[in-house]
Amino acid sequence: VDCQLNLYFSKKSFFKCALHSCYSSLVLFFIPYAAMYDTVRDDGKDIADYQSFALLTQTCLLFAVSIQMSYWTAVNTIFVLGSLVMYFAVTFTMYSNGMFTILPSAFPFIGTARNSLNQPNVWLTIFLTSILCVLPVITNRFLMIQLCPTINDKAKATPAPPTQRARIRRTSSRRSGYAFSHAQGYGDLVTSGRFLRRPALTRSSGFTHVGRTTTSFSPMGRSAGYSPTGRPQNNKVPNVEVTSLQMYRTITDSAP
Amino acid sequence: MVKQESESANRPDNTAFTQQRLPAWQPILSAGIVIPGFVLIGLAFIGIGVALFVTSKSIQELEFDYTGYSNESPCSSCAQSVVANCKCSLNFTLTTLLQGPVFFYYGLSNYFQNYRRYGASKDDNQLYGDLSYFTSPSSSCSPYDYDSSKKPIVPCGSIANSMFNDTFTLTWTVNGKTNNVSLDGKGIAWWTDYNVKYRNPNVTPLKNAFNGTVKPINWAKPAYELDASDPSNNGFVNQDFLVWMRRAALPNFRKLYRRIDASGDYKNGLPAGNYTVDITYNYPVRAFNGVKKIVFSNVSWMGGRNEFLGIAYLVIGSLCVVMSVVMLIVYAKFKFPDEE
Repeated sequence: VDCQLNLYFSKKSFFKCALHSCYSSLVLFFIPYAAMYDTVRDDGKDIADYQSFALLTQTCLLFAVSIQMSYWTAVNTIFVLGSLVMYFAVTFTMYSNGMFTILPSAFPFIGTARNSLNQPNVWLTIFLTSILCVLPVITNRFLMIQLCPTINDKAKATPAPPTQRARIRRTSSRRSGYAFSHAQGYGDLVTSGRFLRRPALTRSSGFTHVGRTTTSFSPMGRSAGYSPTGRPQNNKVPNVEVTSLQMYRTITDSAP
Repeated sequence: MVKQESESANRPDNTAFTQQRLPAWQPILSAGIVIPGFVLIGLAFIGIGVALFVTSKSIQELEFDYTGYSNESPCSSCAQSVVANCKCSLNFTLTTLLQGPVFFYYGLSNYFQNYRRYGASKDDNQLYGDLSYFTSPSSSCSPYDYDSSKKPIVPCGSIANSMFNDTFTLTWTVNGKTNNVSLDGKGIAWWTDYNVKYRNPNVTPLKNAFNGTVKPINWAKPAYELDASDPSNNGFVNQDFLVWMRRAALPNFRKLYRRIDASGDYKNGLPAGNYTVDITYNYPVRAFNGVKKIVFSNVSWMGGRNEFLGIAYLVIGSLCVVMSVVMLIVYAKFKFPDEE
């Protein structure tokens, strides 16, 4: 098996990942360190204590990793926001008076969340750290898209033909492609035998779908299949589940 | 794809959720979004940075090192002697009013309160007033849990044992007259520390709770005599004790000692003039090259004086604007070849 033969390890990817991790770690520690150096609260009391510093660093970390998502589905968003909410809920609970009263030695951080998270400079530090972790990634990706675009990037860059948008007005059609009782169905496709060449791809991510080979047929164009009414063929996309957000385009890759 | 009958009962439903076909939003990094975005972020950061920097610059702060390493330092004699309660004085002059409320801090350098074994060396139950832990302190306090004659130490542990014990008084000399500046020691620790985390045992008089225990080795007085004149500041809820027990994260730190009482001549802060700080030099730091300082400072909405945050925001904001210009150039250069 290829994985066992270590064929897929890319030193370049590993190095990029390691570099990003090192950078994030340094930012996540040293920005709070410098922001808390010899600082006090706005009423003069202590804020650069061990517990507040720990809380600040871990909150920075949470925000930094929550923002770095590559795509946001409804489920994803709920869970990420939910985990942030849970983090604050658990933190405030663990650092509350009640929990401390029950078991003093187990909850020594009592009062820390209340006393440090109401300081503006703490939140400004968190904001700075999270943005600082995210911006290099965005910059790098944008420059890569401009300088060495992949086929995906080219697909996203070309605007969708307007006729397609007018046609696909499904509200919530996540039905299977089989329920086409009101349309002409797949008859011409089946008879032409084209379905055998194209594998069905059911993942939906983003707005585009790119064909695997350069010899992809264009479902939006005129197919050579049988069209009984003589009208332009309906742009049903066979053998791929149609959702309202998927649009098909033919992309040709100039480089082999 | 050929139509297939659903043969097995375990086949998942053909819904978007189960087949992982949910609509997803993916941030597409097009030039029209990224470049203006960076400019906006850059400008916002620059704005915040300017506000922070200006605020930080407006905070007045005075710092004096009184460790006594150099022979010209006022406390050098105390630093070299081993006599307890050695007294020395530090003079300074204020040219302008130090705006109130003024806070008086003591600072230590090269002092690692964040050391793991040090930080674990305390007994939260004891400090919560649980008398059963007075007779048998937690083992995390060792070797500061029992003294040489096997009597329990209260409060046990290394943090309590190393409590800072220098004291300071401040006087203001004007027109030949020396006025005492009153220092307020109330409410210098966190409200939650004073009211919830640390409690005295429910015994009156407090002294009786400590029967059969001994004070920490380095302390001059036992816990129930930390402030005999004020029962609300005595025992474990003594404000100086609480401030010390809230251990610092970094090796160079400051802890609040007192507040300048804003009354009488000092309503607006510390007026200009000559001041003298009388120090009772007890705390030994020379053994580990530590440094002791006193700091007078006022505060603002962003806390004490710390220019880092302002400068960081300014730098990152400028970098964002520069990067957006760079990206615009890259985009413009590479856009035109594609359009041909």
